[in-house]
Amino acid sequence: MNYSDLNALILTYLGFHGKGNGETETLISEVLPRVDQAARFRRSEGRFTALPLFLRKEPYLSFLSGCSSVVLEAVTLGGEVDLLIRRISKEDMAAGVVADACASALLETLADEAEEPLGKERTYRFCPGYGGSDISDVKYILEAVRGDRIGITMQQCGFMLPQKTMAGFVGIGKTAQKSCAGCILSEHCAYRKEGRVCYAK
Amino acid sequence: MLRKVVVIDGGFGSELERRGVLAAVPEDLNLTDGETVRCIHRAYSMADIITTNSFGLNRIKYRGKFSIQEVAEAAISNARAAGKQVFFDIGPTGGMMQPLGTLTFEEAFEAFSEIAACTKELVDGYIVETFSDLSELKACILALKAQTEKPIFATMTFDKTCRTLNGTTPEICAALLENLGVSALGVNCSLGPRELKPVVERFLSVSHLPVIVQPNRGIPTFEDGKTVYSLSVEDFMAPMEEFIQMGVSVVGGCCGTTPEFTARLAKFSGKEVEQPEPAFETVVTSSTRRVVLKGARICGERLNPTGKKKLKEALLKGDMDYLAREAIAQEEAGAELLDLNVGVPGLDEPAVMDRAAAAVSEATDLPLQIDSSDPKAIEAGIRKYSGVPLVNSVNGEGAVMDAVFPLVKKYGAVVLGLTMDQKGVPQTAEERLAIAERILSRAEEYGIPRHRVMIDTLVLTVSAEQPLVKETLKALTLVRNLGVQTALGVSNVSFGLPDRPRLNRAFLAAALQAGLTMPIMNPLDGEMSGTVYAFRVLSGEDVGAEDYISRYAGAVSAATAAAPAPANSTNASAVQSLSEAVRRGRKGEARTLTEAELQEKAPMDVVNGILNPALEEVGRLYDSGTLYLPQLIAAAEAAKEAFAVLGEKFERKGAGRGKVVLATVKGDVHDIGKNICKVVLESYGFEVTDLGKDVPVERVVEAVQREQPLCVGLSALMTTTVPNMRSTIEALRLAGCKTPVFAGGAVLNEEIAKEIGADYYTANALELVKTIERELLK
Repeated sequence: MNYSDLNALILTYLGFHGKGNGETETLISEVLPRVDQAARFRRSEGRFTALPLFLRKEPYLSFLSGCSSVVLEAVTLGGEVDLLIRRISKEDMAAGVVADACASALLETLADEAEEPLGKERTYRFCPGYGGSDISDVKYILEAVRGDRIGITMQQCGFMLPQKTMAGFVGIGKTAQKSCAGCILSEHCAYRKEGRVCYAK
Repeated sequence: MLRKVVVIDGGFGSELERRGVLAAVPEDLNLTDGETVRCIHRAYSMADIITTNSFGLNRIKYRGKFSIQEVAEAAISNARAAGKQVFFDIGPTGGMMQPLGTLTFEEAFEAFSEIAACTKELVDGYIVETFSDLSELKACILALKAQTEKPIFATMTFDKTCRTLNGTTPEICAALLENLGVSALGVNCSLGPRELKPVVERFLSVSHLPVIVQPNRGIPTFEDGKTVYSLSVEDFMAPMEEFIQMGVSVVGGCCGTTPEFTARLAKFSGKEVEQPEPAFETVVTSSTRRVVLKGARICGERLNPTGKKKLKEALLKGDMDYLAREAIAQEEAGAELLDLNVGVPGLDEPAVMDRAAAAVSEATDLPLQIDSSDPKAIEAGIRKYSGVPLVNSVNGEGAVMDAVFPLVKKYGAVVLGLTMDQKGVPQTAEERLAIAERILSRAEEYGIPRHRVMIDTLVLTVSAEQPLVKETLKALTLVRNLGVQTALGVSNVSFGLPDRPRLNRAFLAAALQAGLTMPIMNPLDGEMSGTVYAFRVLSGEDVGAEDYISRYAGAVSAATAAAPAPANSTNASAVQSLSEAVRRGRKGEARTLTEAELQEKAPMDVVNGILNPALEEVGRLYDSGTLYLPQLIAAAEAAKEAFAVLGEKFERKGAGRGKVVLATVKGDVHDIGKNICKVVLESYGFEVTDLGKDVPVERVVEAVQREQPLCVGLSALMTTTVPNMRSTIEALRLAGCKTPVFAGGAVLNEEIAKEIGADYYTANALELVKTIERELLK
């Protein structure tokens, strides 16, 4: 992974259309290496040939139909990144917002890279909470791949810590493209109003 | 040092899984299927120590159907079936501690205290294992120590970077555990034994206590709901035998290991091993940074309100962000630890120390020196401290030592002793040495060894006590000969004379040469820091002058080189006007250009003629999509900087445009959106009281009643924390607060905001400002 590979995604998260401005680009180049240094990417996965119970409902069933197996996974950048973002925000809020976007982009990209060994015939990563699914399903994934072993905890109200953490699953044996169908935000989405999508790189 | 090998049993949960016993709450099996539990314990009876089936048994994690006491007692009685020593097994709570999460130190302490209370009479010892968070581990050890003197074995879990999941190294873990008085320390779970070798080496390089190694049977994989461990007994044993050779004397297995593994380890039980004996060093740590006090170490003095008006104001206002920024600035200027003193007349010093220590530790990972003459404030600063703090201070007065040493001992701290007593500061170096010796021997009586005491030989001002300056220096040398590290508040020397830095610098160099370890000084003074870095080269500490060269290569003079680089220094084009500085978000230039404008213009003309129009334009460009979020915030930060200059030069009349109270609601720690609102509101001249994240309902009510603000802004990120927003609004209304409430956050919209009783919904920070202006400031 190259820092320049992350640039487009970071700018998208920050709300830019295409190119950033000079000041923001400078901030990214200052902050991204710090975020990268604080990050300790950790991942845990578990493969299931029989569909786990919590996935035997919509929209998961449609998403996974035609797959031969499913890989559950949890990934995190670890707690140091959370602290770094807070620290940078105290010095300079604009840099803090940029650091937050850098961390999100880094996590997405590292997670994508880590999925490459699963082969080309795979879906994208589906994370509960998106596409009209129930975000509380995340807990089944964390249990199955022992998220606690890589430092992920789930708060009582359902969100995961550290903040830069994802839990989801990948279907094996077919390919699938991301779309906005079923997204909770699709009616209000700022990206869509501008004819863009949030996941484009 | 010769030690005898002790063998602990192996995996329990994995043994249940292997036997096909499925249980959502494995601890409940102690009561519901005691025979299976006993059967596994008996299978491990070749070990010297049997650990109870109680890993997840604490009130925060446990979701079974019995009481903690019932399960604990059954677990111990089941473990007794093996006929060996029984150690009660304690794992982490499963919650995420503050500041990363919402679990408090005291909540963890209470949970572990409950376990201690119902087990202390029944067990032979405790094994506290698989911890990742140093402060949670500390809470556990303190809870046990408060109730029992039985042996405590403590281990953390490390990954291949040799850090715990929260970033603690073996050296830091060992430093705190040793000071807290556990019986053995080390590593469990984590990785397979081969991958643990660097962690084991690092523990052995610092530990004076027996070292524990309990690895997993390799790194597990998860297949169709089963946990698969693949390492063979032979592959497990080869590195374990090597560890014993290296000096590890407490061995066992963790996840995936079976009685077959323990049987092989048991062959080493009682065997004599030679553990290396590292030198005792004076070590202070945070949870992620360790500082060995030797050579020359800079302690930043700027978090002490004496003579600092702005810090005093920040403490009185409870503005912890100010402290955080001071801490960060000192770290960037080269400080290696930070003094923290919050003594301002009229303040509840222990309460403020508690909050200040937390805020500073969150902003920087430099170890802290907790500085107070009030033992209650010292305790408030060190109790929850995640690491080994330095306590400033005791002196030769018996009553002071009797009040402070028990705290130092209990919380595993290092202490600074001042060579004075009830009679004041003695004149001669010899008398000061005598007090130092008295402090050291009294500390030893309290169980605090010499390497955990530092001595300050006290600086007197040269203008008043000229002949005594060399006594201070001589005393440094005498104290160092006792094998003890030293400290001095160096800048006191120049009080009352012109051009103080000149004297300070000369004195600092002389003191370092006389044996000063830790100057307590202003690291932002580049010449002072430069003297320390230069001394490190001359004394041979900075080998090959590597550090010096990296700091000063190409420097014009020491004064400019050690100062932190101005923000945005890499931006090519210069800014011409204040208006442009705001529009382009150039904080540093905003300050100097505001100062320049004030030479010619009245403050109100700067505000109305330059700042407000610039902000208006930024807002317009943001609304039209030509300028984006980071630019909006940078502009707000620059405008804030300009307002700060105006505020410094001229008393601000009233509170600008009104007060706003902001909070991220209870249960939610996502505060970036709220922080953006804060910066933008402030840039528009509003006075913001920021209650932070995960804010309990009562604190919002209390703040609103106290501040009587124009409005309240509540933020929540997740659908699951929206109910807490509703209850906060309800509590406000119940308390009779009619203050308008603004709701915001990723999952909110107009309808949800109305539904939960908020008066306004705004989608972003700028809309918040505009809505307040439109609706509340007509």
